[in-house]
Amino acid sequence: MIRFAARRLGFMLVILVISSVIVFVVGRLAPGDPVQLLMGDLRDPVVEARVRHDLGLDRPLWAQYLRFAGHALGGDLGQSYANPGRSVNRMVAEALPATARLAAVTVALAILLGVPLGVISAVGRASATDLLARLVALGGMSLPSFVAAVLLIRWLALGWHVVPVSGWGEPRHYVLPVLVLLVQPLAYITRVTRAGVLRVLPEDYVRTAHSKGLSPWRILSRHVLPNAAISIITIAGLAFSYALTGAFVVETIFRIPGLGQAAIGALFLRDYPMVQAVSLLYAAIFIGTNFLVDLGYAFIDPRIRYR
Amino acid sequence: MTGGAAPLADPTLVPVMRRAERHGRLLRALRRDRTTVWAGLILALVVAGSLLLPAILPYRYDQQSLDHTFEGPTARHWLGTDQYGRDLLTRLAHGGRISLVVGVVTVLAEILLGGFLGGVAGYAGGMLDEWLMRLTDMMLAFPALLLALLLAAMLGPGATTVVAALALAGWPAMARTVRGEILSLKEREFVVAARAQGASAGRVLLRHLLLNTVHLIVVRATLDIGPIILTEATLSFLGLGVQRPTPSWGVLIADSFQYLQSAPALAVIPCVTLSVTILALNFVGEGAAEAMDPSVRGAP
Repeated sequence: MIRFAARRLGFMLVILVISSVIVFVVGRLAPGDPVQLLMGDLRDPVVEARVRHDLGLDRPLWAQYLRFAGHALGGDLGQSYANPGRSVNRMVAEALPATARLAAVTVALAILLGVPLGVISAVGRASATDLLARLVALGGMSLPSFVAAVLLIRWLALGWHVVPVSGWGEPRHYVLPVLVLLVQPLAYITRVTRAGVLRVLPEDYVRTAHSKGLSPWRILSRHVLPNAAISIITIAGLAFSYALTGAFVVETIFRIPGLGQAAIGALFLRDYPMVQAVSLLYAAIFIGTNFLVDLGYAFIDPRIRYR
Repeated sequence: MTGGAAPLADPTLVPVMRRAERHGRLLRALRRDRTTVWAGLILALVVAGSLLLPAILPYRYDQQSLDHTFEGPTARHWLGTDQYGRDLLTRLAHGGRISLVVGVVTVLAEILLGGFLGGVAGYAGGMLDEWLMRLTDMMLAFPALLLALLLAAMLGPGATTVVAALALAGWPAMARTVRGEILSLKEREFVVAARAQGASAGRVLLRHLLLNTVHLIVVRATLDIGPIILTEATLSFLGLGVQRPTPSWGVLIADSFQYLQSAPALAVIPCVTLSVTILALNFVGEGAAEAMDPSVRGAP
């Protein structure tokens, strides 16, 4: 188990380094001169050369990357171009909690609702419930999050005044964003659970469990679900990624001061250090999630460790 | 792929027969599957509307008429007009064209890139295969939306950037599909026979291996088009995809968003069109995938 984890950890670090190179290159190749962005058009050549030297922009690209990576490793992501005098660290630290809370609530709800829905759908295959669950799954996969937002705002907020259109800070402000974010992960989790359970149901050991006279509930919880768990864990990890990228759309629509809104704003302002920071953070989160999912596999299914 | 048939004298005959057999099964399965057929019809309607309507309707997509803003459905404007008096149906049809073009071009790029790399990885094996698959592992872990954001930062937003980002994000899945099939195909008799007859590696890969994965490539492509159009719309909605004044569906929805209270139809109509199109695409993709793999269907 430890060797398996170590190998996976090594692979994860390699990917993280490659991602950081990509993110760095994107920031450097992007149009616009950082010094000009920082200082505006009226600038003294002497001061300009000084700032360029201080930022390390007069050195070769590889040296710039090492400096960038070194600082990032030390937890310093640089200064914002769009907000001179503010560190990117601060900006990220201010925006992260909103996004993290939204994603956590969404994924928890998606698992709590999606797994039972998928199981019911699989057990009662071809029934009306199954049809409904499949429609929820395929419909959810086909519904863009901003479309869901338009429809929910139109009826829940503007039509029936159940929840406020936007705002942030109170529990009722979570309702619409979470509903919008929930659509896709719920669809995927339902679908994958259904497929996983359907694959396990015809197995011999399930029939044996039936003929031993075990209760259906026990068969499900002890024999079927653990064997379908691998695919459910994969998709739960993916659901977390969906919820985080969904933040780009949802935070823009509902004006939530989170990472997604901060990243999109930075993109339009060409605030590359901020774009780099958010991309790097996202890459780290995705890669970390994948690593945890891999460890989860090995924990649930001992066969995987020896591969 | 009901194996076990004795190898015939001409090695090329076997895969040809198998392919015809597969197509027959696909058509029979589709006939049974009425949902897929309905979805296909809706899709055909959307495609026909996007291609024909701009030619038939008397308006340009950017033709303003400030005396006729926010009109409901009338004889002249079937779906009404927007905040600048532009004909909504015309704009919707143009948006459909853009979505379809982005979807098709992206999928073609995906097929070229993924089909080629997957084919080479599967056929060559060894270290090349190992590293290419590691690369796909990495790419699959990276969400398409984030990749598109990075590319938009680097190249500037636009339809080309969207296609590039989505193709970059999409080829790994295609490569894996093709590679998996080629791994099992390359051990079969007709490939061994072709090699024994002295066919070059390129010819074996292209004629005997890749041609035999066409059915899988088609299914994968059909499954991919829906999510591609969805992501394009999302990027355009955020202002990072297709740029105004070109009316992509995402742009239409973003621009009518602020009139949700006073003129809801303006946002709801493009929303419904987009969702129904993607739903239809997904149903057709699923139908094709199930028809290709009857084990999903099962007996009882």
